[in-house]
Amino acid sequence: MGPLIPNGIISMEWDSIIAIFIGICFGFVLESSGFSSSRKLAGVFYGYDFAVLRVFFTAAAVSVIGIYYLDYLGYLDVSQLYVHPTYLWGAIIGGVIMGVGFVAGGFCPGTSLCAVAIGKLDAWVYVLGIMIGVFLFSELYTFFEPIYTGYFMGNITLMDSFGWNPYWIIFVFSIIAVVAFAVSDMVRKRVKKVFY
Amino acid sequence: MVKKKVAKVLSFRYKILALIFIVLAGGLVLLPKHQKQEGIKAEQLLSNVISPERYVSTDQIAHKIINQDPSFILIDVRDSISYNNYSLPNAINIPLKKLLDKDFEAYLNQNQFDVIFYSNDNFYADQAWVLCNRLGYKNLRVLKGGMNRWFTTIINPVKPNDDVAAEEFELYSTRKAASMFFGVVYPDQVAEQSDMQIAAPKKVITVQKKKKRAAEGGC
Amino acid sequence: MKTDNKTNSHVYWNPYFGGFLLGIIIIFTFYLTGRGLGASGAMKSSVVTIVDQVAPTHAENNAYYSKFISKDDSPMNTWLVFEALGVLIGAFISGGLAGRIKWRIQHSPKISSKRRLVFALGGGILFGLGAQIARGCTSGAALSGMAVLSTGGFITMLAIFGSAYAVAYFFRKNWI
Repeated sequence: MGPLIPNGIISMEWDSIIAIFIGICFGFVLESSGFSSSRKLAGVFYGYDFAVLRVFFTAAAVSVIGIYYLDYLGYLDVSQLYVHPTYLWGAIIGGVIMGVGFVAGGFCPGTSLCAVAIGKLDAWVYVLGIMIGVFLFSELYTFFEPIYTGYFMGNITLMDSFGWNPYWIIFVFSIIAVVAFAVSDMVRKRVKKVFY
Repeated sequence: MVKKKVAKVLSFRYKILALIFIVLAGGLVLLPKHQKQEGIKAEQLLSNVISPERYVSTDQIAHKIINQDPSFILIDVRDSISYNNYSLPNAINIPLKKLLDKDFEAYLNQNQFDVIFYSNDNFYADQAWVLCNRLGYKNLRVLKGGMNRWFTTIINPVKPNDDVAAEEFELYSTRKAASMFFGVVYPDQVAEQSDMQIAAPKKVITVQKKKKRAAEGGC
Repeated sequence: MKTDNKTNSHVYWNPYFGGFLLGIIIIFTFYLTGRGLGASGAMKSSVVTIVDQVAPTHAENNAYYSKFISKDDSPMNTWLVFEALGVLIGAFISGGLAGRIKWRIQHSPKISSKRRLVFALGGGILFGLGAQIARGCTSGAALSGMAVLSTGGFITMLAIFGSAYAVAYFFRKNWI
């Protein structure tokens, strides 16, 4: 059955329209959850606001549970979904650089787009910065190429790399998420409130 | 005071929500695992197997080949040695062991052509037929009697006795004509047809892949 | 609480509710298109388009740009660009409904606007660079990757948050 477009159930022409529609929902939810505010986003690193952690983990856990239920019921074929490829060192180095950028700039690309839409000038500058970053990467591509294309491990999932049962992964993951929520709430109560 | 009460109610709600959340996740672990069913149901397969419709006779195939009917592809499920030795014109060699390889899926899983399996008799061809049928592929046939029947009926038809019905003779003459098409040379007309090749040049059949796009993504 | 709602436009949804809806959107996206969400891809496409317009030969000679340039199609005609447009529209609607739309620079009272902008630019450059090396940002790699239990997605997520926590101390003045 699903995914619908790759299986030709919905024709390709709808792809772009669906993209805009999904984008609207995505942007609406992000903005309404407060992701257009860089100080709210940065709060997760200083303990005064854990919105990022909560939204992020809830979204990841809900989606993974939902996808596996759909797969179980036969509506969706998990094996047909796009699995983000694993380039071991690319993911680690890129992630570390992104982490620094996250704290320095206070946005990630998706949230900066939301902030751009509501007129935050720092987000406009941030998006400009991302574009410069992409530009630098492309110009220095020969330098980055070994990391970018090296250590390729395929489009693997945790099941492939560790041989774990996906259902147990999800179960453990959701327990971790709930524990993280509880801990973050405790931390938030102790940290001095920051108004923004 | 009010704020405290609200906070208490809220935290209770969060506990309930967290519980529901974990139960849902745990549900996936506890649910009985079922083997994912690929292809058609067993009953359907059984009724397909019983039905004699899957066979085509050698005469029909000969007729189709001679008329250059474009609506079918022949699939030789024997190994490649036998295939190279002799096979039907335009046949594609997919040894039974490699039947489910990804490379050949495009030939088998399509709606454009009738797929006709054959082997030396119809035993291995039937196996291929069942396997593909199980996967839900369409328009599958088996050449009744396989290559052996092909030789005894088309290539080397037995001359009927004088006392059988007229149809038998008609059949014999069509078969004989067909065999000439396939390169058998009869002593009464050696002269002009001696340089005919044994097997017609293998035409390449391109099968359009079913529209199935791999999902792509990434930033 | 109600008076708060009127005076303070910074009252957002309950994060769990937002996260739940976001999860539903991700499921929906995977169900329809078989792929996850993304954001930095749109910016990459924009950069490729700009470079392709300004210096076409340079873009074709560069090993990275040329991957995304095809003769008969604009690099902007990709799923992620449309999705990013949708994000802009969606955020604009939400911000408009809550009365949050106005030109402003948000920063801690302890720092100047200029400093905030400089750091935003620097952070953006780093994020853009990192997102290309890791082939995805927080939404594309981490969030959508985690939804299908991709190993790369988990590694990227851990790397982002790990390094962010590690360096958070040095940037504290910007935020607290």
